[in-house]
Amino acid sequence: MSTTKHARIGEEVWKSRVDKVNAELVTLTYGSIVQQLCKDLEGDYTEVNKQLDKMGYNIGLRLIEDFLAKTNMGRCNGFRDTAESIAKIGFKIFLNITPTVTNWSADNKSFSLVFEENPLADFVELPDDGRAQNELWYSNILCGVLRGALEMVQMQVEAHFASDVLRGNDSTEMRVELIRIIDDELPPGDE
Amino acid sequence: MSLQPPTSPFVPFSPNPALQPGTPSSTTPLSIAQKPPPVSSASLRYASTRRSIYDRNLNRTQRAELSKASFAFLFGEMIQYAQKRVSGIQDLEKKLNIQGYSIGQRLLELLLFREGRSAKRETRILGILQFIAQTVYRHLFNKPADGLERSHDKDDEYMLIDHEPVVNTYISVPKEISLLNCAAFVAGIIEAVLDGSLFPARVTAHSTPTDQYPGRTVYLIKFEESVLEREAMLAGGKP
Amino acid sequence: MVILSVMILNKAGGLIYQRDFHEGLHKLSSNDFLVLAGTFHGVHAITSRISPVHGSGGLEVLESENFRMQCFQTLTGTKFLIFAEPHQPNIDVICRRVYELYADYVMKNPFYQIEMPIRCEAFDRHLMAYLKPKQ
Repeated sequence: MSTTKHARIGEEVWKSRVDKVNAELVTLTYGSIVQQLCKDLEGDYTEVNKQLDKMGYNIGLRLIEDFLAKTNMGRCNGFRDTAESIAKIGFKIFLNITPTVTNWSADNKSFSLVFEENPLADFVELPDDGRAQNELWYSNILCGVLRGALEMVQMQVEAHFASDVLRGNDSTEMRVELIRIIDDELPPGDE
Repeated sequence: MSLQPPTSPFVPFSPNPALQPGTPSSTTPLSIAQKPPPVSSASLRYASTRRSIYDRNLNRTQRAELSKASFAFLFGEMIQYAQKRVSGIQDLEKKLNIQGYSIGQRLLELLLFREGRSAKRETRILGILQFIAQTVYRHLFNKPADGLERSHDKDDEYMLIDHEPVVNTYISVPKEISLLNCAAFVAGIIEAVLDGSLFPARVTAHSTPTDQYPGRTVYLIKFEESVLEREAMLAGGKP
Repeated sequence: MVILSVMILNKAGGLIYQRDFHEGLHKLSSNDFLVLAGTFHGVHAITSRISPVHGSGGLEVLESENFRMQCFQTLTGTKFLIFAEPHQPNIDVICRRVYELYADYVMKNPFYQIEMPIRCEAFDRHLMAYLKPKQ
């Protein structure tokens, strides 16, 4: 599927099949979650990152069904197709953004998602405690979501943030790597 | 770290920051002719490719929309996370209330800022409740609250009614904990708006299902004594 | 539209939802349903492998003179079995709608544990409203 076709599907599903809420409600809710974690884990940002990833994973396991139900998509044609689907359709229908897919590795097994906008981090500034900007990945939940969602469609991936404007970097970039295809129990039948 | 010699006749206030106790060594003394360094006096780094959050227009996201699913999944995780750390329904509702509270504090500031010059400081109970039922509710949920009532037998209790709380759209509470209402989260938001507007109160969410509205929720608002006293005074003062 | 009943199977073939939407149906015990679901899961897997055509899916439609069963399997391995009256048109549309309701009222319910039996009141309510609107 061409990139423009992905974009068209994403746009169409977002317009007609997605129930919407005020963006600030989502931003504030996510902020409250991160805030609560920082409090509970007593400022151990490495643990906060882990917990965010775990939460994201739980969400991903469920979110994939919503994605499939709304888009009616069949199996992707290779990992590059998967990447475009994630960027142009997945992120579009949940967060109304379309990150750019770049930096493909030579073996086509890893790529970067560069986020021009990030609604989860709107108007967020990390604490000025000398550590947060070096340790916390504010939007780490997104890495978990990708990991969980893709696992349910038989792809084991690793995802992590390489840079984040909240940390003073010039861009927000997530790196996604395909570890292996899980085909022990591949549901029979591709479209 | 070497200091740039000042290029203007103005002498920097502290010629040698190393001698001044408490002066962060990361800052260079400011002189009028010099441009301020890109890093603020705090040690936060900012991306050079975009404006800081202080320069962005706050109203930019006012009408922005995201999927309800995103909210639902985040809210769901919030609930699951809280569930692991509590020992009962009331505790869980309290945790949700606290998380909503921090949102309500920010929301109040934001909404009043946006009203700008026409913002009115509410001094009467009915006024602040209308603000919540209309402005706050419309902003969050794109609809006003479905009803506002005063308790018949208790002076300090008011009820805000929502036929189908948006936050509960996809949630089905198991029968074993049927008393739980996750809209305790919204109760926290309401409580923060009230507290912040100087109408201290306790707000709780209660399920009151009907055939037509199985998810009907009543937010019980219990004002503190001081609010009632002030209300009586204001009411008595009117001719 | 006359839908007789709906069954949902998790990835492992366990029955996580069974509900009748018509009166007078042959009632089985819950244990029987469980066995039936597991059997179907096995049959479904076999049918995809014995297909002479490479890469085909498993059993999709089962038709008899009394009913038509359609099996919709998602990419995640969840199976939706819709039992309808024979010659019921548009079961595909119904399958998709049921999948959407599942994605909404089961997946987005924080009190639902994945792969476990579905006990979501909102899901029941919406499914009933969709499949039996007069009720």
